[in-house]
Amino acid sequence: MPPLDGTDRAILNRIQSDFPRDQRPYGVIARELGLQEDEVLQRISRLKAEGVIRRVGGNFYPEKLGFVSTLCAARVPDQEVEAFARAVNRHAGVTHNYERDNAYNVWFTFIAESREEIAAALESIRRETGIGEILNLPATRVFKIRARFSV
Amino acid sequence: MAKGVLTELEKKVVQAVQGDIPVCGRPYLELAREAGVGEEEFIRALEGLVERGVMRRFGATLRHQKSGYTANAMVAWKVPEERVEEAGRAFAEHGSVSHCYRRDPARDWPYNVYTMVHAGSAADCEAIAKELSARAGARDYEILFSKREFKKTSMAYFPADDEG
Repeated sequence: MPPLDGTDRAILNRIQSDFPRDQRPYGVIARELGLQEDEVLQRISRLKAEGVIRRVGGNFYPEKLGFVSTLCAARVPDQEVEAFARAVNRHAGVTHNYERDNAYNVWFTFIAESREEIAAALESIRRETGIGEILNLPATRVFKIRARFSV
Repeated sequence: MAKGVLTELEKKVVQAVQGDIPVCGRPYLELAREAGVGEEEFIRALEGLVERGVMRRFGATLRHQKSGYTANAMVAWKVPEERVEEAGRAFAEHGSVSHCYRRDPARDWPYNVYTMVHAGSAADCEAIAKELSARAGARDYEILFSKREFKKTSMAYFPADDEG
């Protein structure tokens, strides 16, 4: 992947939040940065193709859409980690799932319409995989959520 | 289905913008057509979701590994309850911390505050954890580096086959 140039960085820093709600959003960004709309479109297409940009879109608070979320942690024997991860990933509400270097070695986030739905899904994962030790750790206080990075 | 939180139009807009917005001159016109609504009402409903704070961020999500943030770690902290508020705020102020939450401790897992730390290397993550520890006066913590990513996606709210 070629390194990012100054224009790429300016675009990336601009489009990570407050993406314009305008008939021609890329045109608005181009004007702000002193570029042509075509150039902005071409560069964003390229940055997506190169994998620098995962996606451009909305990120919601689950609670404000009437959903709930939690973080779960499981203790899984090494040789069963992959099968366990597959069983967890089959649930559509699981958005992030990582193996981490700890006795609690599989960590995943779960979004659903109710706490009961999450509890039932965890119970079905326990039954299916035989892994009993799954912690359910919903947040009780949010101090920070930020997914913007200077590049 | 969570009823009464969003209008039917707003649900269509959520469905449309929770994926990847097209890269073209009038992306909302395309999305509005697919949703069977007008471009103008689509943009107005989108603006409403942003203004009401239903959306926490509207824009590009980057792949950190490709934009210079090559290491990330979850740091779990054991903070005395009476100091959680102060510690949480101190963690949140740090520029390398992207997420910070309080969660109830559980069974054999005594940690109650969680931070996600992003940096250029694992050693940098460890140095930042030390800095946070000193800053918040929280000495008891575990750094959990990710070994493998099994899933990383955004939630698909209101899937089309789940009307109601």
